[in-house]
Amino acid sequence: MAVVEKEDFRVVGKSIPRLDAGGKVRGLTEYADDVDIPDCWHGAIVRSPVAHGRLLGLTFDSSFDWNLVAVVTSEDIPGKNIVDMMGQDMPFLAHDEIQYRGEPVALIAARTKALAKKSLAHVKVDVEEHPATLTMQDVVARFEKDPASLHLQWKQDIRKGNVTDALASADMVVEGEYWCGHQEQMYIEPQGMIAIPEKDGSIFILGSMQCPYYINPELCVTLDLPPEKIRVKQTAVGGAFGGKEDFPTLLGGYCALLAMKCGHPVKIIYDRHQDILYSTKRHPAWTRHVTGLNRDGTIAAMKIDFLLDGGAYTTLSPVVLFRGILHAAMGYECENVTINGRVFRTNTFPNGAFRGFGAPQSLWALESHVDVLAERCGMTPHDFRLKNCLRKGGVTPTGQVLKESVGSPAVLETALDKAGFAEKLTRCSAGDPSQDRWYGIGLSFFAHGAGFTGDGEARIKAKVALDLDYFEDGAPGINVRASSTEMGQGTMTILPQTAAEGLSISIDRVRYPYPDTQVVPDSGPTVASRTAMVVGATVYGAGEKMKAQLEKFASEALFDGQTVKLSDGRFESSSAGNSRAFEEVASLYLKQNGPLRVYNQFDLPPTIKWNQETFEGDAYPSYSWGCNIAEVEIDVLTLEIHVTKVTACYDIGRVLNPLLAKGQLEGGLVQCLGYAIMEKIQIQDGIPDANRMQTYVIPTMLDTPEFDLCFVEYPYDHAWPGAKGLGEIPMDGLAPAIANAIKRAAGVRITDIPITPEKLFEALKESGSIRGTEAS
Amino acid sequence: MSTKVTRTWTVNGEKKVVEVLPLRRLLDVLREDFGIKGTKEGCGEGECGACTILLDGQPVCSCLIGAGQILDGSEIMTVEGLEKTEGGRILQEAYMEKGAAQCGICIPGMLISSYALLNSVSDPDEALIRKSHAGNLCRCTGYEKIVEAIQLAAERWPTGISNIKHRTLIRHR
Ligand code: FES
Ligand code: FES
Repeated sequence: MAVVEKEDFRVVGKSIPRLDAGGKVRGLTEYADDVDIPDCWHGAIVRSPVAHGRLLGLTFDSSFDWNLVAVVTSEDIPGKNIVDMMGQDMPFLAHDEIQYRGEPVALIAARTKALAKKSLAHVKVDVEEHPATLTMQDVVARFEKDPASLHLQWKQDIRKGNVTDALASADMVVEGEYWCGHQEQMYIEPQGMIAIPEKDGSIFILGSMQCPYYINPELCVTLDLPPEKIRVKQTAVGGAFGGKEDFPTLLGGYCALLAMKCGHPVKIIYDRHQDILYSTKRHPAWTRHVTGLNRDGTIAAMKIDFLLDGGAYTTLSPVVLFRGILHAAMGYECENVTINGRVFRTNTFPNGAFRGFGAPQSLWALESHVDVLAERCGMTPHDFRLKNCLRKGGVTPTGQVLKESVGSPAVLETALDKAGFAEKLTRCSAGDPSQDRWYGIGLSFFAHGAGFTGDGEARIKAKVALDLDYFEDGAPGINVRASSTEMGQGTMTILPQTAAEGLSISIDRVRYPYPDTQVVPDSGPTVASRTAMVVGATVYGAGEKMKAQLEKFASEALFDGQTVKLSDGRFESSSAGNSRAFEEVASLYLKQNGPLRVYNQFDLPPTIKWNQETFEGDAYPSYSWGCNIAEVEIDVLTLEIHVTKVTACYDIGRVLNPLLAKGQLEGGLVQCLGYAIMEKIQIQDGIPDANRMQTYVIPTMLDTPEFDLCFVEYPYDHAWPGAKGLGEIPMDGLAPAIANAIKRAAGVRITDIPITPEKLFEALKESGSIRGTEAS
Repeated sequence: MSTKVTRTWTVNGEKKVVEVLPLRRLLDVLREDFGIKGTKEGCGEGECGACTILLDGQPVCSCLIGAGQILDGSEIMTVEGLEKTEGGRILQEAYMEKGAAQCGICIPGMLISSYALLNSVSDPDEALIRKSHAGNLCRCTGYEKIVEAIQLAAERWPTGISNIKHRTLIRHR
């Protein structure tokens, strides 16, 4: 296997312990609720009691002393009562139509949390109730019968070749439908935001967020303030996973509206119950595959319908849809592909970003279906994938030719080999009634687009800066300035690593402070697995620029104009014996010139061509690749499913920090394990039935499998040092790998996650293979 | 109406006197009345373990205990107290080395559970480590690095450093 040789890096590629760990193990790191805000009031939200209807008015009970609190309704909004996201259909506070249960209709702030909460009981929301569409099941039923009766939020198709003809001429047509439900991010730190009104009429917003530069422009529209009057700063974030991408704009906006009204700082820290009920979740999805398959195991045509439940408003759903359809048939050779993507409204809380952003949903379907295809043409799941997988030079459904940095089939071959897959496949129980414990092994293979879709990165052009200045210890150091946030994934460590590498100095003098829009340029949002690749490369480039400037300075000031190189923390000229430490030169620079700021910005190679209308061309600058192999055991009496071992191989380009990368993989895989077999939400009366940690169960330390993880590195040269995405790909493949393993253990395929013992029981009953029950 | 009670405890080795409504959650007393904010709230109902503290050597959820239930003279230890103990420092080091903290919000509670475990069993096997931390949820790490950190700390754990008054009880769930 031709793996690209590792360059001789000094800081990148090393397992440097996290730079932010010290505060975290000492309990000193300040999360939103830990920040001391003098004179801070507490906000509470008055919500709609129905899922769909018309707001008739609010009745404020006269037995309550309303002078004690500040109240904001839609009429108090200084700017536009609109959340400036896609669709432009979501009001900040409902004023006429109600589109989901729990929709905010008014805000209240009070001196204490208890008083704010108490006041809520004294407001009556008068509504006229209308019939509501509440679930994905509703949506799909109506989609099949009468799609025009649904509210379409967005549509996007992908077309390649001629699917109709190819389906007609294929040896067989294989159909399958796959469902997946809501998933709650369940970061352990609930949502929390704070707004502080400043004397000059500006607003300072801080809190638990992923994207400081989302909040600023969006709230300018609502608060009717110019950008320079809204300052946004991230506090430490106790987990986000996409859940703090779009929602903090709303919560921050509520705090800001209240703060402007009452003149005090206002904070809203959700409790867990509120957080589950009233914040974004992963979109439920339904996928239908209709595949033209030839007996020789080639895929002639793929026709795919991909439907998302968008919730009540459009928000980010179109982008989630894009990523969903771009991964719906990704990874396999096929000349004829049609993908129809649709997002429909339901009257539930708007669904939003969650690690993977549509890809886990469409890959769940694809990788379940590929196993079915293999079976239908009598091939093993691995041989079928090895035969059909895209390789270097292959062409994706959007017509993108994979020219470089392609970790396929390397990830597949490596993982198969490590797990001993072929041999273990022969040992699967297949529902053998004589066994007490069924064993099964399953596989998935997938790619994940790194960075924004198409030419998105070229449009936003991530900007970063490096500041050379004195640190508190009096010695010079470098602060990396970008809007990318640390939320547990390691930004605060890997960005200093790339800066130090670019400069060729030790990481000891490089730091990454929490982003504050007053100080940092806009490196874009912390989403889409783009931080390591795009921002990492931009910071590396800034390091190189600063290095060149300091070398020039050193040459003139200390080396009589000789050529000087900064290498490994020392400035050296060609004449032997003359060498100065970075600290010495940097101090001299600071003394003579004051602080040095160096900017850099990201650009895509001009070869990237993308048509956003037709969805043709280079859908992503590059792809990460992965293969997951799950082994399961099922207790035949209780049908409890134990995932005993996960073997996984990934190509995420250059691994910037193996220690952190593995930790992120393990965490993501466990989150996906929850998605596959544990985490379940049903909508009841318009809101999630599982609305506490007691009922929405996530994996504990007792639920995790043995891991065998490895990397193959195919760096992306256009974003040197060559990282691709890592954040989302761990969420992509484990659910179908587990479902495929369960199929081989129990003999039945479950096409609806989470796969609970109850679902397995029903499926076994239906297939007639439950011990002691009659075959039907 | 309940009336306030006065309580005198040792918190992280310091004497603290508090006048408090008996049902006020210990978590709020620590965070709001004492300003000791290392202890976190993840659920407020005993599910996540982010609020775990040691009460007379036992790991408990501070969101579930009313201040009035805690007797005078009790010893409370939060994440901030770890640094004052040898075992606590060993654990902090191990967590940092192994990359056990990602977002870090679960870590104060997790560390306290680790400390309680190693103080009662200094050479736990992996099954016991997992069982004794099953009440501490972490959404970031997948727990592997945390288990490795506890194993590393156990290797370095010196004998006879227990600060715990009543050796007990590893929480089982
Ligand atoms: S906050 Fe106490 S257990 Fe979650
Ligand atoms: S490190 Fe984030 S929840 Fe554990």
